[in-house]
Amino acid sequence: MTARHEAGRPSLVELTGVGKRYGNVIALRDITLQVNAGEITCVLGDNGAGKSTLIKIIAGLHRHDEGVFRVDGREVAFGSPREALEHGIATVYQDLAVVPLMPVWRNFFLGSEKRKGSGPLKRLDIGFMRGTAKEELLGMGIDLRDVDQPIGTLSGGERQCVAIARAVYFGAKILILDEPTAALGVKQAGVVLRYVVQARERGLGVVFISHNPHHAYPVGDRFLILKRGRSIGYHTKDEITLDELTAQMAGGAELDQLAHELESAGVKGAPELREEARDLGASD
Amino acid sequence: MKRRVIATALAGLLALSACSGSGGKKAEEQQTKALTGGGPRIKIAMVTHSAQGDAFWDIVQKGAQAASAKDNVQFLYAADPDGGKQAQLVQSYIDQHVDGIIVTLAKPDALKDVVTKAVQAKIPVVTINSGADVSAKFGAIAHFGQDENIAGQAAGEQLNKVGVKKAVCLIHEQGNVGLDARCAGAKKTFSGQMQNLYVQGSNMPQVKSAVTAKLQADKGIDGLLALNAQIALTASDAVKDSGGKAKVATFDMNKDLISAIKDGRIQFAVDQQPYLQGYEAVDEMWLYKRNGDVLGGGQPVLTGPAIVDRTNADAVAPYADRGTR
Amino acid sequence: MSQTIERPSAPSDERLAARSPLRKLLGRPEIGALVGAVVLFVFFSLVADAFLRASSFSTVLYSSASMGIMAVSVSLLMIGGEFDLSAGVMVTTSALIASMFSYQLTLNVWAGVAISLVVTLALGFLNGLLYVKTGLPSFIVTLGTFFMLAGLNLGFTKLITHNVATPSIEDMDGFEQARSVFAANWTIGGVQVNISVLWWIVFVAIATWLLLRTRSGNWIFAVGGSASSARAVGVPVTRTKIALFMGVSFTAWFYGMHILFNFKSVQSGEGIGNEFFYIICAVVGGCLLTGGYGSAIGAAIGAFIWGMTSNGIVYAEWNPDWFKFFLGAMLLAATVVNLVVRRRAEAGQ
Repeated sequence: MTARHEAGRPSLVELTGVGKRYGNVIALRDITLQVNAGEITCVLGDNGAGKSTLIKIIAGLHRHDEGVFRVDGREVAFGSPREALEHGIATVYQDLAVVPLMPVWRNFFLGSEKRKGSGPLKRLDIGFMRGTAKEELLGMGIDLRDVDQPIGTLSGGERQCVAIARAVYFGAKILILDEPTAALGVKQAGVVLRYVVQARERGLGVVFISHNPHHAYPVGDRFLILKRGRSIGYHTKDEITLDELTAQMAGGAELDQLAHELESAGVKGAPELREEARDLGASD
Repeated sequence: MKRRVIATALAGLLALSACSGSGGKKAEEQQTKALTGGGPRIKIAMVTHSAQGDAFWDIVQKGAQAASAKDNVQFLYAADPDGGKQAQLVQSYIDQHVDGIIVTLAKPDALKDVVTKAVQAKIPVVTINSGADVSAKFGAIAHFGQDENIAGQAAGEQLNKVGVKKAVCLIHEQGNVGLDARCAGAKKTFSGQMQNLYVQGSNMPQVKSAVTAKLQADKGIDGLLALNAQIALTASDAVKDSGGKAKVATFDMNKDLISAIKDGRIQFAVDQQPYLQGYEAVDEMWLYKRNGDVLGGGQPVLTGPAIVDRTNADAVAPYADRGTR
Repeated sequence: MSQTIERPSAPSDERLAARSPLRKLLGRPEIGALVGAVVLFVFFSLVADAFLRASSFSTVLYSSASMGIMAVSVSLLMIGGEFDLSAGVMVTTSALIASMFSYQLTLNVWAGVAISLVVTLALGFLNGLLYVKTGLPSFIVTLGTFFMLAGLNLGFTKLITHNVATPSIEDMDGFEQARSVFAANWTIGGVQVNISVLWWIVFVAIATWLLLRTRSGNWIFAVGGSASSARAVGVPVTRTKIALFMGVSFTAWFYGMHILFNFKSVQSGEGIGNEFFYIICAVVGGCLLTGGYGSAIGAAIGAFIWGMTSNGIVYAEWNPDWFKFFLGAMLLAATVVNLVVRRRAEAGQ
């Protein structure tokens, strides 16, 4: 049953029929998904579609109730983000999990500080951390004048990149990016997408969460579309075009329905709407 | 390793638990025997303007409790430095239909209405400590105690006697009416120059440094008038540490203060005999209920001030030890 | 202020020089307080003759230390994003426990000191645990423990000693020894200096090292700056916060011992209201009320400002009725400076 990558190795992350409920609210139902090394799996959906629940399960913030969650072929159920991290799963949250008032290098190493000395004199290896942060960022193409500046002074795109660079440096095999381009302008989003591709080229498996198919399609290898906690489509890139993806996302079927209603109400312009829906490949 | 550290710490603690050879509870001999009085049990409430944990009012309560035990009285106590809140407390005792209310009139205007209400509700009211001049006007049957101002005047006269020329009055609670009145009274009778200094009574190190600073700022100061025992002891420490010669005097008593008076670190203490204020008030209430008696015949009954200095410290010592002076 | 620069090969030194040392200095949290302290010092030197004497300086230092010791741990807690309103009464609780335990059981005073340490640390732990478990703001939780401790202080003291103050323990075994540790007076060059000043400096040094040079310090900044971010990258937020509350209780114990051994007996009502002065010292010293930013040195400067103001007014022989006005004005000024600094840091793109 386990899906095999071309090389015959198990997927880095594989969900089979995973579900989650909060009390009697079903947040997620029957989700199947693979993330392979050197691939980007995109998770698309509107607000409330269940994207964040899905990330929380993979990132170890919540435990799934149904189905099977495998990492490297072995079944897991994480109790904390730390466990997920130990399995090489790093998450870059929408709020980036950075502390705005702290210097860039402190943020870079936060939670995984490098120390020297021993006993009560065990202290931070500041020189090393400062240097490494600068180098690693440079490696991703971000050249900061001063890694001592508070990370809050960086632009949104830069902060996103610092968070990605951090995850890569700490040996993440799987990178979960939660809406990395959501709050960014067109240019900044482009910068971030470039780093996402760079991470893939380094051989990482990437889970890219987005509600914008125009950002997801160019970089993605697989696409999972969620709606109200259910999967309404799971495709590899060669199975689907950007238009079809957009249509599924935007709920082309609903657009069609709307056209019907407007038509029967005699509203002008309904035929154009129906045409639009057909174009999106959602209508009969 | 860790275990050894813990073991060593425990061993150390055990060694320390060896009894102290001096001082402590064992050295203290205290016995208060309560007399028991007769008659049907009545309920008397006392409402003062005391702040929480004030030493003076603690002794007032002790006096009241002693009288209550003797007279078979159920004694209730409440206090709030805020005039309005004090009035609310009195009101709540009126609502409870207690048999008598003892109240301080530090802020007469705030309490006038509620005292009148109590009188109208046929609950006898006795006033203590402050408000001697308005007590009868409000309808109280008797007043015990004396104005803080009069106690202050006694202190001022006594300071003249011990030869102080330039004194500082240490107010340990900014805006406290009673404390202000004591300093004002002292200023009235003191023949030298007297100024006020606010010290933060809730913080002894601050008291000490403020007093030290004052002594350093003005070398001419030769007298300090504290308004409670703990402040006085701290002030005398400050005098000693700064090598000054200022004489320290105070209001109110406690055990440590008596020994400081005995060895001359503190010149004298003005004792308003707070025990008496509490005791007399309850006893009067009981007498009034049992026999219709009124002490003082409509005039305020003074409970002080008594001056405690080297000459009579020994006599007062046992009572201060017990916490009733 | 910063951009992604296109030429990664450019020599970095050049651009580092562009950020002037002055600018860097202005970014320090304690700078506002430092400027204020210098201004106040010059001011009081001019208006009060007695202010510049060595003996006066020692008085000011002692006064500062008596605020500063608590301000150290309170500032760490504030950097960690929390308040402890029970800090003031906890000092008294700690002193009362040591005093009454030794006295009532007639033990060597060191036994009381040890018991007091254990109980006070437990109180700090309890504050932290209540905060973590209930998820209520620490302001509310410690407001509750503040009232409870104030009540327990008075209740137990009266129950056990039948007075509102503890009896003097001056003549008990170990008192002199303990006094020499917690409250000794040294004469240096003819001027008396209390050992608490030295301890204060030691605590500030340790706290500064902890904050800036250790992993725990990193975590303190992180849990205060953004607890959810810190948790997401694996910082033990719960443990860090509880440890910070315990840090406050540790200094409360230490300062309580100073009070006990300097003044021999303790009044049960002492300490109430001081928690705000500790917070004021920390805020004047550049700690943000919202957490994540500040320094222990800043809090020390804040305490020094406190010491200078409270005693300077006495030296200048002004009417002390105005003291609280000055205090309030300083607090407001310091907070405004900090606000400007933070805005610059957060919106500096």
